[in-house]
Formats: sequence, structure tokens, C-alpha cells
Amino acid sequence: MLTDTLLTGFGAWNPIAWVIAFAVALFIAWIIQRMGEPDVPGEGESGKPYLSGNDEPTPEATHIGGSNLYWGCTEAMNGYYARIVPLHTGCLTDYVLWVLGTFALLVIFIGVL
Amino acid sequence: MIPMITAAVLGCIGIAVYGMFFGLVLQGVDRKWAARMQARYGPPLHQPFIDIAKLLCKDNIIPKNAVKSVFNAAPVIALAASITILLYLPIGSIMPVLGGWGDIILVIYLLTVPGLAMVAGGLASGSPYATVGSQREMVTMIAYELPLAIAVVAIAWRLNAAGVADPFSLVTLAQTPVWGVVGIPGIIGLLLLMLAIAWVTPAELSRVPCDTPEAETELCGGLLVEYSGKNLALFSLSGAVKMVAMATLTVVLFLPWNLTWFIPLTGAVGIVADLAFFVLKVLLVVFFSVSLIRVGMARFRINHLVTFYWGYITLIGFTGMILLVLDAVLGMGVVA
Repeated sequence: MLTDTLLTGFGAWNPIAWVIAFAVALFIAWIIQRMGEPDVPGEGESGKPYLSGNDEPTPEATHIGGSNLYWGCTEAMNGYYARIVPLHTGCLTDYVLWVLGTFALLVIFIGVL
Repeated sequence: MIPMITAAVLGCIGIAVYGMFFGLVLQGVDRKWAARMQARYGPPLHQPFIDIAKLLCKDNIIPKNAVKSVFNAAPVIALAASITILLYLPIGSIMPVLGGWGDIILVIYLLTVPGLAMVAGGLASGSPYATVGSQREMVTMIAYELPLAIAVVAIAWRLNAAGVADPFSLVTLAQTPVWGVVGIPGIIGLLLLMLAIAWVTPAELSRVPCDTPEAETELCGGLLVEYSGKNLALFSLSGAVKMVAMATLTVVLFLPWNLTWFIPLTGAVGIVADLAFFVLKVLLVVFFSVSLIRVGMARFRINHLVTFYWGYITLIGFTGMILLVLDAVLGMGVVA
């Protein structure tokens, strides 16, 4: 049943217990939010994003594309990417060779061990 | 079913009060310690409570570009998720409220939810600063999750090798100190894993040197730059509760001993003594993992943060894990 607890012998998991607790916690957080002052729609200057006095650029100019989303990661691992990216030749036969080579290595690994 | 619902509902209310109160106290203590280490007097211990009360009296300005529903929902989800983490963690000798219905793997997943809510809130702010802050928060999360997972899995694996049932259960981890089942290589491995977790804590809490998503001096608050009033209060409360959760997780993994294990105290006296000892251990963790590090270091650049966690801290974690495996393979300590 859905309400049963999954006992693996290593740990436990019951999604219903968490969902009930999360609903109660949401209610508590919502009550705290309600205790605050009501929302004030930003008008004029207060409605603009804070940009240290600079003019607000267009949304297109500040859009972070997928390639920039993980910039910190890709920059930190540029040595790895510098080797990996050239391997993506776009040529199907190269990819098939990689699959066959990896498969052969796995067979050798499994056969030896 | 009824005991589970009762525990979830009543436990959640109690734990919410405990988590927010203790979290704000810990933030006050941290600020006081940091001030004293910088030769300042520092704010009073109850300053975080005053800050929350002040924020609840301030206007909640919604930026014109913001996606209002996500902007308002994110802080609520962040606080609610932080509270539910505490339901799976023990407090002194009091076992977790939902300990029988979830384990440490769930806790690792739940630790990411407040961060993801902040990312959603930042992206919904309609501010370039907040967008960059959200991007950095995601990268930070990617960076510190691996060493955290390594430490947890290594400890659970070693307990399993020693024949301990349910090694991922928080009840098991709280009642079975892993130090008791390891030999010399295992002790060195555990010290290394403790070091890794001590460094994961400031990243989980977005504290210096891992406060790159907020970066006051360059992003003016980053993903929180457009937040004010009650929503900022909720994010602050979420951070306070998460601080309790991270410190408790470290205590459970590495310092699970209770005072009553050594001194024959029973009943309420024993529970209070264990609670006092637990608070002492949490303060110890906060001092070394939060206050000391943030006073002694400057902020990492985001790419340095990834290099640091995926390079040095992961290497330390892996070395610790290999030593624990060797400990069991060589038959040092307890092996089933």
C-alpha cells in the first residue's frame, strides 16, 4: 500500500509522513508570512530592481543562457572540458568506436575480475 | 497510520518552534563570537530575534518584473522544508520524531530544498543581481553535495560492515557511535570525513567563505537582493533552522554520545542533562564550522569554490572513505 513504510534493511522511507509534516510546516510558515505587513506592489523607483544606480538593462541583455548557467563549474573544470569537448566530433563512426571500445574494456574488466 | 499522522502533525509544530528559537539563538551566538574574535563588542545575543521582528514590520515590496506567486511562495517553501529536516534528526537522547519513517538519505535530499527554493525565488525576482546569485547558488550546491554524500555513505557502509542493522537510520547512527567499531585506519578516516563535513557546513549555510550567491560587496545580497519585509524574515528563519539541522547532522554522525551513557542519570534529569550536552556539542560544531571559518577567511570566487570542494574536500572525503574500507577489509575494529 502507498501508506506502508519502505524498509530496506538499510533505512526507511514513508512519503506520506513527510507530506503530512510538510503540509503542517507550510501552514506554520504561511502564518508567519501573514504576520508581516501586506504586500506593496513596487511603483516607480521602488518597483525597479536594485542595480547600484545603473540603468536597468533589457531582460534579453541579462538573460543567462543554458551554457552560462553552470559557469562556475565549467570554468573550474576547464582542463577536463578542454580534453573532452574535442572528442565530440559529431561523426557517428567515432561514437560507435567509443561504444565498442568501452564495451571491450568492460568485458576485459569483468572477465579478469 | 494514526500514530504516524499524530507524530507528523504535533511533532512538526513542536519542532518548528524549537528549530526557529534555537536557530536564532545559534545565529546570535555566532555573531557574538565573530565580533569578539574581531575585537568588537558585537550585538546582543537576542539580536536575530529583533531582526526578525523588525522585518515583519517592514513593507514587503514586490518588484515590477517579479513573478509574484513564485517570489512569495519561495520563502514559505524554504522555511517549511528546513523545519521538516529537523523531524528526522535526534535532539540529545530524544529520538527523531519521524525517525521510523525516513533516514539520512532523505535528510541529504531535504537539505537541498531550501537552497532550491532560494534559487527559484531569486530567478523570480526579475533582477540581474538575483539571477547571478541564483546561478551561483546552484553551482555551490553541485560543489558541496558530493563530499557530504561521501561522508554519509562511508560511515553507513562501515557500520554495515560491522554488522549494524539499518545503518542509514538516524536512530541507529544516534545510538551507535561509528568510532566504536573502527580501528586505527578507520579513526584517521573518520577524522578526515569530519574535516570534510566541517567544510560542507559553511557552504550549506551560504556563510563566508561560501557566501558567493549573496556576495554583499559585489551582488548586494545576490539572490536575496529584492527581498524585504516578511519574505526576507522567512528566508532568515529558514537559514537559522538549517543551521540547527546541519550542526545536528554533524553531531549525529561524529559526536553522538550522550551524558547518560557515562553518568547514571535517569528520567527527566537524564533527558535534561543529555539536552544540555547536545547544546554544547552543537555550539562546538557552530564555532569550528561557521564562526571560526567565516572570521578567518575571505569569500571564494565561484570557480575557486568548485575547485576547492570537488578537488580538495572530495579528495579528503575519498581518502577517509578508502581508509574506512581498508579498516574493514583488514579486519581492524569490529567486522561482522
